[in-house]
Amino acid sequence: MKSLVTRFFRVRELPVFIALVIVVFITGSANPQFFTLSGFQDVTLGVAVVAVLAVAQTLVIVMKHIDLSVGSTIGFSAYLIGDASSKGHGFWYCMGLALALGLAVGAANGFMVAYLKLPSLVVTLGTLYIVRGVFNEVAGGNTITEDMVPGPINFMGLNTFFGIPYLFLVAFVLMLVVGFVMKRIRSARDLYAIGSNLLAAELGGIPVARRVFLAFLATGAVSGLAGAVLLARFNTAAANSGNGLELSVVAACVVGGVAIAGGIGTVYGAVIGAILLQAITMALGALGIPQFWQLAVNGTLLIAAISLDRYLSTRVKPTSIMGAK
Amino acid sequence: MKKKYTFGWDQGVTAFLAITVVVGSFVSEYFANFDNLSFVIQDIAEIAIIALAMTYLIIAGEIDLSVASILSLTSATIGFLFRNGTSFEMAIVGGLLVGLLCGLLNGYLVTVVGLPSLAVTIGTLALFRGLCYALLGNEPVNELPENWIVLGYENIPGTFLPWSTIPLAILAAIAWIVLHYTRIGRWTFAIGINPEAAKFSGIPVARMKLGLFAMTGLMSGVAGVVYTLRFASASPDGAVGFELSVIAAVLFGGVAIAGGIGTLWGVLAAVLSLGAIRSVLQLIDFSANALLVVSGALLLISVVVPRAIEIYQSRRKSAFVTKI
Amino acid sequence: MVATQTPILEMRGAKKAFGGVQALTGADLTLYPGEIHALLGENGAGKSTLLKALAGVHKIDAGSITLNGKTFEQGSTRRAGEQGIAVIYQEPSLFPDLTLAENVFVGRQLRSGFTVNWKAMEEETNKLFQQLGVKLDGTRTARGLSIADQQIVEIAKALSTKATVIVMDEPTAALSSKEVDRLFQVARNLEAQNCAVVFVSHRLDEVFALCSRITVMRDGATVGTAPTKEMTEQSVIKLMVGREVSELYPKLEAKIGDVVLKVEGLGLAGQFEDISFEVRAGEIVGLAGLVGSGRSEIVRAVFGVDKFDKGTVTLNGKKLKPGNPSAQMVSGVALVPEDRRQQGLFMSSSIDKNSAVTMLKKLSKFFIIRQKNESKLATEWGQKLSLKYATGHDPVDRLSGGNQQKVVIAKWLATNPKLLIVDEPTRGIDVGTKAEVHRLLSTKAQDGVAILIVSSELPEVMGMADRILVMREGRMVGQFDRHAATPEKIISVATGAAPV
Repeated sequence: MKSLVTRFFRVRELPVFIALVIVVFITGSANPQFFTLSGFQDVTLGVAVVAVLAVAQTLVIVMKHIDLSVGSTIGFSAYLIGDASSKGHGFWYCMGLALALGLAVGAANGFMVAYLKLPSLVVTLGTLYIVRGVFNEVAGGNTITEDMVPGPINFMGLNTFFGIPYLFLVAFVLMLVVGFVMKRIRSARDLYAIGSNLLAAELGGIPVARRVFLAFLATGAVSGLAGAVLLARFNTAAANSGNGLELSVVAACVVGGVAIAGGIGTVYGAVIGAILLQAITMALGALGIPQFWQLAVNGTLLIAAISLDRYLSTRVKPTSIMGAK
Repeated sequence: MKKKYTFGWDQGVTAFLAITVVVGSFVSEYFANFDNLSFVIQDIAEIAIIALAMTYLIIAGEIDLSVASILSLTSATIGFLFRNGTSFEMAIVGGLLVGLLCGLLNGYLVTVVGLPSLAVTIGTLALFRGLCYALLGNEPVNELPENWIVLGYENIPGTFLPWSTIPLAILAAIAWIVLHYTRIGRWTFAIGINPEAAKFSGIPVARMKLGLFAMTGLMSGVAGVVYTLRFASASPDGAVGFELSVIAAVLFGGVAIAGGIGTLWGVLAAVLSLGAIRSVLQLIDFSANALLVVSGALLLISVVVPRAIEIYQSRRKSAFVTKI
Repeated sequence: MVATQTPILEMRGAKKAFGGVQALTGADLTLYPGEIHALLGENGAGKSTLLKALAGVHKIDAGSITLNGKTFEQGSTRRAGEQGIAVIYQEPSLFPDLTLAENVFVGRQLRSGFTVNWKAMEEETNKLFQQLGVKLDGTRTARGLSIADQQIVEIAKALSTKATVIVMDEPTAALSSKEVDRLFQVARNLEAQNCAVVFVSHRLDEVFALCSRITVMRDGATVGTAPTKEMTEQSVIKLMVGREVSELYPKLEAKIGDVVLKVEGLGLAGQFEDISFEVRAGEIVGLAGLVGSGRSEIVRAVFGVDKFDKGTVTLNGKKLKPGNPSAQMVSGVALVPEDRRQQGLFMSSSIDKNSAVTMLKKLSKFFIIRQKNESKLATEWGQKLSLKYATGHDPVDRLSGGNQQKVVIAKWLATNPKLLIVDEPTRGIDVGTKAEVHRLLSTKAQDGVAILIVSSELPEVMGMADRILVMREGRMVGQFDRHAATPEKIISVATGAAPV
């Protein structure tokens, strides 16, 4: 029994969960509206996009990589869906287009990182801008309006399932599925090994390149498909859609315990982190702090999360006199 | 070996610059003249100035993604101070100070708190940009003193060079000499190659890195001053995405992302190439979006090519080397 | 465990070249089930190339390797593992964020159906630990594990893959003597389970204590194989070196001068406490003790790479501030660190640059440094130390271990230090260069330099030092004069077996 308790306290996601509870209470006391159903729906709706992307990003970050191109991909995808739909194509065609875009970007990233062994920071920074450039060129000054959004997507964006917004359910279900896979499927465990000690993984016979490639491919695919979520959320898409999302996504993951150094973290933590960031954003709104500060706050939170993580990890090192040489 | 590849890279970039210029003059009759050269220098001045400092930082094994936000914050500070009654000269000093402080913050978080520079500067990128909006709201400051604005668009009397050439040339010369011929430069390379051995060799690693981040912040500040004068306005959303061009130029110039390798001439040639390409694209009426694509492509090329060369070379000979 | 059995592994006439260099010129190795077999040879003799061939890192150019009667499939680490060969390296490489159980089963996690069965893995792992007679918990993460424990995990992994040949490459270099004993137990355990254990080491006393047969390599070929009973340390050294080894520890008489280094009440929380000693000019003081007793930590604190929080360090009367290696260097302290690859050298940098890195200020005229001055300095010192290399522009990773160590020593001697600290100065170095380094230290002492030497090799400390300080668990527990010291006394104080 005792070991169960100690194991509970060692759970990496605990601090962020506690932080979330605290923030929720603070916000709720300042603005009792928060505790109502509509308050709950506001939060879950607001967090859906970032949560979906954060689940995918976790795959990449545990391998000690990063994918900065997700914002450009999801924005471009949202636009493509609306554009294709307005030209008369059916729902599945539009989704297929979105998936194709995501896979293309993911494959490009994956190839350069996994097989050419290039640093993922640089590669995804490059694809971020290339995709955005192409996106801006294709979109020009056009905007996708509500009437151009495919029916099913519109439906998802507006409706709830027993009070829970469908968009959030998408994120939640994705989290459950990916979370299960990361814990229980052998080939997924390799991702943690790769992030924890790349050299040992290579020597140990793990097909590193293949895993890395597939992880980036998956992230790309999710970013592509998530264009539907973005479109459903805002009912519009234009050349600036998705700009800057990568920051929130990375912040959500790090805050949620997915270490930048790789090897540790779960999608559950990433989603909690996303919710926490969303809650803080709304708390600031409730406290009357102008929009402008949002960006600054997000940045500060990311720094705070990394600092805390670093502080906690240095405390774990053995300090005994008979310690390591 | 590695040294050979660096020399090869330098020559490669110079060749690339030459080719771009030649191609440019064929593509458009307006390319190869002094007016255009003046324009190109104006265009890349800020990027070049920041790239000088970024070169050191990346060679030392770190990176700073927040430089564009620092540039903008400097500009916003100048606007804010001036709008609230400070003299323009003092506002510029204030702006430079802000740039330095931002760099020191980055440096502190990396060297004292011990955070990875990639993650930290993603955070400060947002933080500093957010502060721009906090300072200016959504309104740019457009009424700046005339005698200063002139420096932004006029040339040095009697030449075709814009005023911004002066800070650029001086800083570039200093940067080049220091990197390749002084102790500080040697230390920078050493830290990039092996920070632990650097410490054990008596090199003050933490102090150096702090200094390099501070310098990067200051250079971003200088770029911010140049930027403000060029556009004759201080606004909170300026220079978005500049960090990409800076990093692309530095990497394309032969500085290895892992650190420990690079030359300053390579970076300068890369910056000039970037400027030349932008100019050509504008002259043939490509949209601004093409620029994003080109910068991204250059960035990728600058890391793909050395890797491809490495793979090719290692296929030709064995990896093991003679032990004496 | 005798020649009448069929061998598990037979390597005959293995040849391997890299570029223009013949690393193996005809190596033979025969392993029988249920034996602990020592593989000896100087650095550069070809041991690691042979091991890498067995590990599947590369293929041999000529010769044959047979495993369990079948031809050994070369060139793939995965295939080598599947065929039953496991290699435990000196610095094992585990996954710090994964649990021990997952480390043991990495890539082959136990499943029920399609999904990973964590409970089964943990149970199986704990069973293996029990089998090896070790107290480790399969559910903890590998982060923070001592090197000795990491090796045990690797051995457990080897067992779980049903390895029949287990190679240990210099396993005891970083172990305390208690941990060495535990490792020996484990090795004998494996022997009893009919594995063939290959034990690679420079420490002859361990080899003679543990191994039943010895194979000696020299210049890429096997020059001798015999049961341990039929050999002596001298005969083995003769085979390794190919010549009579003259005086290994030339101790020259030096004039002892004033106190150069004075350490008083030095302490660093968790590492060492209440350390006080002196070193005089011309004196060689040795720091002996078990691995992990805090010796390296102390000298790192004196040099400034680590801080200290109690006590004082005084050099020629001037107090040194904690944690400031650049200041220490200026005051005249030099430290040749323990790990020359990670701490002592810039591996991809040239010999010239490495040699000159400590002298940059002196080489600068009006802040400018010219490369030819760096080269001049490097050449000068290279000659003084009989450093063998092609050109100063070559990167240091082309040099042998002994020559690399010479570069590290050169860069510090060039600063003309008043206090020279050397930490494990001859670890992993061939016998010939070892003698040169010792002669060098003696000469420097004659020149009036104060020398502090940290070493885990008792013969080295006893041969070189005027005074020997013994550490145990972060405290100084004994001091011996050169003439009064015996190995037994030092070891008993170092292990705490008897009061001083």
